Amino acid sequence: MSIAERPVEDKMSKPGSDWRGRLLDRAPFLVACLMLALIVGIYGSLQSGVFSLDELNLDTAAAMTLMLAATGQTIVLLRGGIDLSIGGMISLGTVIAATRFTDDPATVALWVLVILGLGLVIGALNGLLISLLKLQPFLVTLATWSILNGAAMMILPTDGGSVPGWWVGFASAQLLGLTSPVWMLLALLVFWAWFRATRVGIAIQATGSNEKSAFLSGVSITRVNVVTYGLSGLFAAGAALYLTTQTGAGSPTIGKDYILPSVAAAVIGGVSLFGGRGHLAGTLIGAFVLTLIGNLVFVMHVSSYWQPVASGVILLLSVLASSVAEKAARGRVQ
Amino acid sequence: MSAFLARNRLIVLAYAGMVVLLLVTALFSPGFLSVSNMRSTVVLAAFVGIVALGQTLVIIGGGIDLSVPWVLNSAAIVMALLCGGQDMPLLWVMPLLLAGGGLIGLVNGIGVAHFGVPPIIMTLATNVILQGLILVLTGGSPTPSAPALIQFLSVGRIAGFPVIALIWIALTAAATLLLSKAAFGRHLYALGTSATVAEFSGVPTARTTILTYVISGLTAAFAGMLLTGYSGQAYLGMGDAYLFTSIAAVAIGGASILGGSGHYLGTVAGAMVLTILTGLLPALNLSSGALLVVYGAVILITVSIGSETFAGLGTRMRRG
Repeated sequence: MSIAERPVEDKMSKPGSDWRGRLLDRAPFLVACLMLALIVGIYGSLQSGVFSLDELNLDTAAAMTLMLAATGQTIVLLRGGIDLSIGGMISLGTVIAATRFTDDPATVALWVLVILGLGLVIGALNGLLISLLKLQPFLVTLATWSILNGAAMMILPTDGGSVPGWWVGFASAQLLGLTSPVWMLLALLVFWAWFRATRVGIAIQATGSNEKSAFLSGVSITRVNVVTYGLSGLFAAGAALYLTTQTGAGSPTIGKDYILPSVAAAVIGGVSLFGGRGHLAGTLIGAFVLTLIGNLVFVMHVSSYWQPVASGVILLLSVLASSVAEKAARGRVQ
Repeated sequence: MSAFLARNRLIVLAYAGMVVLLLVTALFSPGFLSVSNMRSTVVLAAFVGIVALGQTLVIIGGGIDLSVPWVLNSAAIVMALLCGGQDMPLLWVMPLLLAGGGLIGLVNGIGVAHFGVPPIIMTLATNVILQGLILVLTGGSPTPSAPALIQFLSVGRIAGFPVIALIWIALTAAATLLLSKAAFGRHLYALGTSATVAEFSGVPTARTTILTYVISGLTAAFAGMLLTGYSGQAYLGMGDAYLFTSIAAVAIGGASILGGSGHYLGTVAGAMVLTILTGLLPALNLSSGALLVVYGAVILITVSIGSETFAGLGTRMRRG
């Protein structure tokens, strides 16, 4: 079932029946919304004060690193690839920040630009390697993950370093009752609304649905890969910078904790691993789901070790739901 | 012979790389080629090699197994808990845990083959679920020491040969037979090359897929028990390094991550290369960070050599 066939099918089917097709198309996203509502509902019934701005501020602050990493990963998944190197980039970003930042805002601004630039350039290199050498994204980014992680360990062998106090205060800065992470969340959604309709955004999604027909329509696959992985690196660098506001230090190993969760958040949110299908809003909901499971386990007074079990089960359930929906959608077209 | 070389160019290259690496290492640290040092290198490579056996089959079939770390770790922890340092329980604990590893593989395989779950997601989910369950089970506390019998299997020697090296040789022979002589091998390459074509040619694709994951579960669980013997006890996180090394060994050994090509003989060379590199870096006075950089560079170089671009270049050069 290609996207191009859908409108024809909708025109041919009886009027009034196309809402079912549209519903099936969005089923994975709706399942994610339902899951989040359920988790928030249970959480809210066990804990008082869940439905407040404070809670929103706290949870968004906790989820923002994953959200930034998963935003980059979502772009890569829409292209039909995967980026494992973000783990290395996040580690590298935190150790550079923790060893180079001083109290002087000008120095910090300089290094922020260096870290973001590094993420963009290294990501673009990933894309270039994948295109020019016709290599698999999984292997290329596995290799660059190892290289970046190694570089991070050479800069700072163990957790440590520090960032200035005013930098750590960033996440609790408020405007109109909302903290900066909540504003970042809104900014991500605005970015997405703009980006997915840009020429390059459309090209990325088209290449993810069908590389050959995208190429035949005049899309430069090399350029798409460079932009896709470049953005992923940039968002990973952003995640690293945000993470230092939470931890106040650098860690050469912390990045690996975000590689697979970033994929999981996107998949829970209904982004297809086969490219071309998905929406950043789903990914952000997926990131909230994964973060709130931690809170839920905490208020239920069970061992926190149940958290990975719960997130694994949720991941499986949501991927099964989307595969069932996809099968049903395919059955309708046939 | 030349036909063999042409067909298995990448495997031959992996072995050539291994020999060059051995010689270079010997140059920098003269004691490296000594019997005792080679013995310990082979023992360390065997753990990577055994985990990578299942990974090789899964990757040839076009999948990937990310559940390796915690299948390995679970087998190690549960073995130590059930045996309590005694030898006798091993007689039933070992078969039980091999079956357990196979069962996890079965779940992975059924999810991938029958429910159409992408392998990355399926095996990632079983990995985190196992991790959580083991953490709940142990409460994060250390486990009793390894039974003497399992220590014999991983560090003992028979007539000067490390027992684990003999086990590895036997497994290599079995895997080679399976891939080169058995119907399963033919089915597996057909499946990895094109699942659709294989399905229409009458290959039992679902059964073949499931079997690769079952074998991967078995080898990971087996490696976990042996590794417990090697380190003297089981600990949390002992499997983490094997996710990267098992995939890297397969890639360096010349298999395509897209499936349909590669052989376990190549993976054996890949496991050796990774382990020799670990030995080379202290000789050069390099840190563990530098080791990761070198690992990444080696993977990039080897997969580049195997890529279409370079293969095309080679063909053009031979013609021209």
